[in-house]
Amino acid sequence: MGLLDKLEAIATTRKTLLPPGVDPFNVVLEEIHSSTEATINGQRVILAGTNNYLGLTFDQECIDAGKEALSKEGTGTTGSRMANGTFHGHRDLEKELALFYGCSNAIVFSTGFVTNLGVISTLAGPDDVIVLDADSHASIYDACRMSGAEMIRFRHNNTVDLEKKLKRLGSRTAKALIIVEGIYSMLGDCAPLAEIANLKRKYGAWLMVDEAHSMGVLGDHGRGMAEAAGVEQDVDFIVGTFSKSLGSIGGYCVSNHPELDLVRYITRSYVFTASPSPSTIATVRKALQVIQNKPQLRSKLWENAELLYQGLKKFGFELGPDPSPIVAIRVPTKEDTLFAWKSLLDQGIYVNLVFPPAAPAGMSLLRCSISAAHTVEQIDYILKVFSEMRQGPFQINA
Amino acid sequence: MTTPQYDAIFQKVEVLLKEYAPQPVPIQEDTELINDLGFDSLRVMEMLEEVEDAFDITYPLNDLSNLRTVKDFISQIQHIIEKS
Repeated sequence: MGLLDKLEAIATTRKTLLPPGVDPFNVVLEEIHSSTEATINGQRVILAGTNNYLGLTFDQECIDAGKEALSKEGTGTTGSRMANGTFHGHRDLEKELALFYGCSNAIVFSTGFVTNLGVISTLAGPDDVIVLDADSHASIYDACRMSGAEMIRFRHNNTVDLEKKLKRLGSRTAKALIIVEGIYSMLGDCAPLAEIANLKRKYGAWLMVDEAHSMGVLGDHGRGMAEAAGVEQDVDFIVGTFSKSLGSIGGYCVSNHPELDLVRYITRSYVFTASPSPSTIATVRKALQVIQNKPQLRSKLWENAELLYQGLKKFGFELGPDPSPIVAIRVPTKEDTLFAWKSLLDQGIYVNLVFPPAAPAGMSLLRCSISAAHTVEQIDYILKVFSEMRQGPFQINA
Repeated sequence: MTTPQYDAIFQKVEVLLKEYAPQPVPIQEDTELINDLGFDSLRVMEMLEEVEDAFDITYPLNDLSNLRTVKDFISQIQHIIEKS
């Protein structure tokens, strides 16, 4: 057995499953026209799978802020904050995030993925227990493994199963961290956070919520699921990303536990990686202001999400449980999913193709994510194409 | 040498493995979950949920790294039951 033999299975799958000339997992956007349109394979397409929930990648204020920082402070930081120092923007953004969430502490990381890797693997250790939702993101699973803590999984969004598991832990709940997400990235369903927070209180455990897909999307002020469920005081740690509603890249953790600030000294994904560039930080800071000053973006996002979800539902597609900016269409087989994905692209619509195990419970998905920047005309066109696919020779089973 | 408890666990687990295993092969102590029964990561998780309910236990995911054969699995379950 050679080192690379294990990749043979991937090569075989790619060869048998993917059509020549198109790799759904390596799509090249040849030209970006706006937050909702790009050119792919020489054709102008509607982007309906980019998690650009508020459309801020092309917000003029954010672009101007990024340009100014680029001119004044250069292209990058060329190292970690521990070694190269903290730029004022890093520090200011942490203060602004803490203020936004009403928390005492915030840490900024270089991506959302490494935020989870760093924070979770530092907070939990070999004597601790992590109780995680089964549908948690890969970064959470990887972080749990890295932590060395005992990993316990509860059925997705199932508070009965969660309670069973907490009860079995007995006094160990004092060292148990429950980890859930606000909105789950594949099906777009929300965590029953009020019930989960009740259980956290009842059993004396700790609670972390990953608001990657819910920050800017849920809550009267856009703080996410914890705000929407009215349980912010019960959440010990909120983690999130800058790469979705905030239209940039990076991640963060906020908390009222002062010990969070100590995490930055020992978290390897903070200490040993380059910090976000000045222009990145500047766009995030501006985007954070925009989501606070323009709640109408959130209203428009939900109007668009409802329009797409209800339209697809009317055509009989099997969707996630509730309307959400993530609208996932279940397709019975990988082959049908790929065929449908390619048909959509050929007709000028880009969505995400998701195969198991990235999708839960062995599902294959056509995953759409909607944006406040989508026009009604764009959504109508998406619905028209899906409708024709449903009625045409190729029918996705509902 | 197996114990009565081990045998009782085996009987229950055998039923669940048969229900969830992608490959319908006879289940013996040295049967391997991945190589013989064809389990992948998702299917293992589904089966584990049923095992947890059947024995009223919590199976830590950390134990998966030491799981190869049916015998390993039964021993792990027995250990968890004894500990709880």
